[in-house]
Amino acid sequence: MLLKTKNLMKAFGGLKAINKVDFELPAGEIRGIIGPNGSGKSTFFNLVSGVYDPDPGSYIEFDGHDITNEPPHKIGALGLSRTFQLLRLYQDMSVINNVMSGYHTRVKYKFFDAVIGRKKIWDQEKEIKDEMMELLSFVGLADYAELNASELSGGQRRLLVLARAIAMKPKLLMLDEPAAGLSPVNVDNLMKIIMQLKDKYGLTLIIIEHILKVVMDTCNTVTVLDHGQKIAEGTPSQVKDDNAVIEAYLGKKMNDEEMRKALAV
Amino acid sequence: MEKFKKIISQYPFLGFIIAYLILLTVPSIFFTDLYQSHLSSLIFINIIVAAGLNIVKGYCGQVTVGHVGLYAVGSYTAGCMFMYLGSDLWMTLPAAIIVTGLFGIAFGIPSFRLEGPYLALATLGGGEAIRLFIENGEFFNSTYGISSISQPVIFGVPFDTPDKYYYISLPVMIIAVYFSYSILKSSIGRAFMSVREDPISAAASGIDIKKYKILAFILSAMFAGAAGAVYAHLPPGYIHPNNYTVIEMVTFLAMVVFGGLGHIWGGIIGAIIITIVYDLTRPLYEYQLFIFGLTIVLTILFMPKGIGGFIDKIFIDKRFKKKKVEEGK
Repeated sequence: MLLKTKNLMKAFGGLKAINKVDFELPAGEIRGIIGPNGSGKSTFFNLVSGVYDPDPGSYIEFDGHDITNEPPHKIGALGLSRTFQLLRLYQDMSVINNVMSGYHTRVKYKFFDAVIGRKKIWDQEKEIKDEMMELLSFVGLADYAELNASELSGGQRRLLVLARAIAMKPKLLMLDEPAAGLSPVNVDNLMKIIMQLKDKYGLTLIIIEHILKVVMDTCNTVTVLDHGQKIAEGTPSQVKDDNAVIEAYLGKKMNDEEMRKALAV
Repeated sequence: MEKFKKIISQYPFLGFIIAYLILLTVPSIFFTDLYQSHLSSLIFINIIVAAGLNIVKGYCGQVTVGHVGLYAVGSYTAGCMFMYLGSDLWMTLPAAIIVTGLFGIAFGIPSFRLEGPYLALATLGGGEAIRLFIENGEFFNSTYGISSISQPVIFGVPFDTPDKYYYISLPVMIIAVYFSYSILKSSIGRAFMSVREDPISAAASGIDIKKYKILAFILSAMFAGAAGAVYAHLPPGYIHPNNYTVIEMVTFLAMVVFGGLGHIWGGIIGAIIITIVYDLTRPLYEYQLFIFGLTIVLTILFMPKGIGGFIDKIFIDKRFKKKKVEEGK
């Protein structure tokens, strides 16, 4: 198992945002997480990536390491990369610097080499830049490399956060609504790029997405959260016909007797 | 020209050596009196401080208003070492750098929990506390200041006049700027910038935020310490607590803001311009602070990235347009 959570819990005051979620993800899989707004999907990401500390009794394991209470940068260094729902781009940095800062954990030279400015620094910096330019041209942003990230369009920003998350060559990539606010054509384009990147780097993916078409078409298995609890898990077609899922998304299914009662009141 | 550019990009220190050699010849060609040498040394000292301030404020985004306190620590470390131990610049400079670096840790720790204006208040308090401590300390000669601090002697030649001291402050400045250049151009500089832009996102990319915040404070403190020591030994070698007030802090801030926050040459451009303007407007003493305050406000409003960012923008837009035109064909 690449990622495993046991009895994962997080409460904000009285609200149990995540309530006893057991989650297992084998390497190489594409997992979708769906659920209504406020069901705890993003909280789940924040717990796994260390932005929030889980409540006592929880257990998270990534790639054989216990990461339950590790700070986010250590989890990142283990090879867990994520994107954010609100993007969190480095607005005031150039596009290439955005991607190159994602490379941080893979930089080989030591601190004092950088202070003294040895030749190998500049050689390596050039290598990093070339590699990142290649990544940028793969996602189609190479022409904008020197512009500020704030000057990009919405769709380009989505591609840039994706490239920044990939730059660290993660084992697991967690995408928080990668296609939010994109037009159908752009969604298809983005998903194509994500799939190409997955093959290229051998990634394992977790995708939170509200566009069900994306989830149903690309994911191997789907986990459904509601009110912080896991209510269903299985292949997309299994999940689609699950009563609990339909109830969470659309409302309760009623038979004639119940319907009459409900209407009479 | 292309070949030259390539060599410089592989060995940036060659560029700094060329700059050093050019600046070495400047006094003999352009300078007509001692005062110009004195002013140049002041510019170099301000460049060191501004380059350091640019690391913590411009790159790492931590608003510190107590930097002048660190500058004072550097100066008084040098001054006290001279007064009590009779040390010269070669001893006091490294000592001042180390001591001020330690003070930098103390200034950096509040940044773990405080942000923006709150951090500014905390560091402002820290800087003022240092100045008041010196002003009221018998050990530091309180308000008398420390006078006639010695100038360095190399091979029996004393560098005790402004025109000679130029050759002491110049290499220190070049080395300091070189360090700031290589730090900021490497992955450390990028980590600083991402901490400034978005700490949560930076942490997710594997950047240790606390480590880089404290590192920025220590590095910039070391720059301030070096500048302080060079300033203490500047002929006639006199330091007084009044040289380290909030007014000086505003001047340093004006340098970094005007030159370009977060621009690699920002602090340097700003230090040169502001020091010269400050000197030229000395007859208008009463209006100076007003002018600097206004400069900061206007720069932030109309040129948020300062002169450095403004020039960069022109070049980047030009290249971008050129690329688009080429593609159009």
